[in-house]
Amino acid sequence: MTEIKRGTAKALADLTEGEILATVEIAAPLERVFRALASREIIDWWARPGVFDTREWTGDVRKGGRWRASGIARGQPYVLEGEFLEVQPPTKLVHTWQRVGIPGAPTTVTYHLQPIDGGTRLTLRHTGFVPPDACGSVGEGWQTSFERLERNLSAAATTSDQPSSLTGAAVTP
Amino acid sequence: MHRAKASDDVFRAIADATRRAILDRLRAGPANAGALAADFRSSRPAISKHLRVLRDARLVVDRRVGRERVYSVKPARLQSVAGWLEGYRSFWQSSLTQLKRNLEEK
Repeated sequence: MTEIKRGTAKALADLTEGEILATVEIAAPLERVFRALASREIIDWWARPGVFDTREWTGDVRKGGRWRASGIARGQPYVLEGEFLEVQPPTKLVHTWQRVGIPGAPTTVTYHLQPIDGGTRLTLRHTGFVPPDACGSVGEGWQTSFERLERNLSAAATTSDQPSSLTGAAVTP
Repeated sequence: MHRAKASDDVFRAIADATRRAILDRLRAGPANAGALAADFRSSRPAISKHLRVLRDARLVVDRRVGRERVYSVKPARLQSVAGWLEGYRSFWQSSLTQLKRNLEEK
């Protein structure tokens, strides 16, 4: 009997810190999960049919190496890229994240993988977001494209929670 | 720009943990300052001050009921504030859910 939770990932926005916290439990070993985070396999999960679709991913998976992803979100092409800051298979991966063509400081994605009974607990922090008014059109560009994306995500993505943002601070590890 | 200033007020308002907690509490239903002070084991003047900041940021509204002022949240306003990170939140929620599905079905 497995301890792995069924259902979906949980993600919270912490408005005060400007970060996203997310977690999911997966019935697969750490090494398997890690491989999906740092390989072309990304195109299979940074994806939601008809909404956003990552079509290409290339990366030089080592500290200082770079990655690049491109695809279509709501009919608009996008390109993301970043640098690997930490590569510690199979427990930790940190990379920057920037949308090409939009000025502004990159944000940072940190994955932690922990063994649990029957699989892996994957925890994600996406940090370094600056409130839109502090960075003007930069935030707005992102905001607009992701809002468009968000609007088209199915009800599943919104689940039953109210804007969990306000309670986000409480779950900061 | 007026709109930008209003948003600034909002971010300032929610930068405080007590005020976020008050908003959370008010999402459950309207309350007066006395009830909130009891809930938060805080002095009534301290709570009133927080409520004033929230009201100035137009995150809450108050109305008179007898001798009391009853506060409630303005959900639309709250949503618009939450919006700047909501896209990323739902992106990761759906992506990680997809990842789980992919790795577990094999």
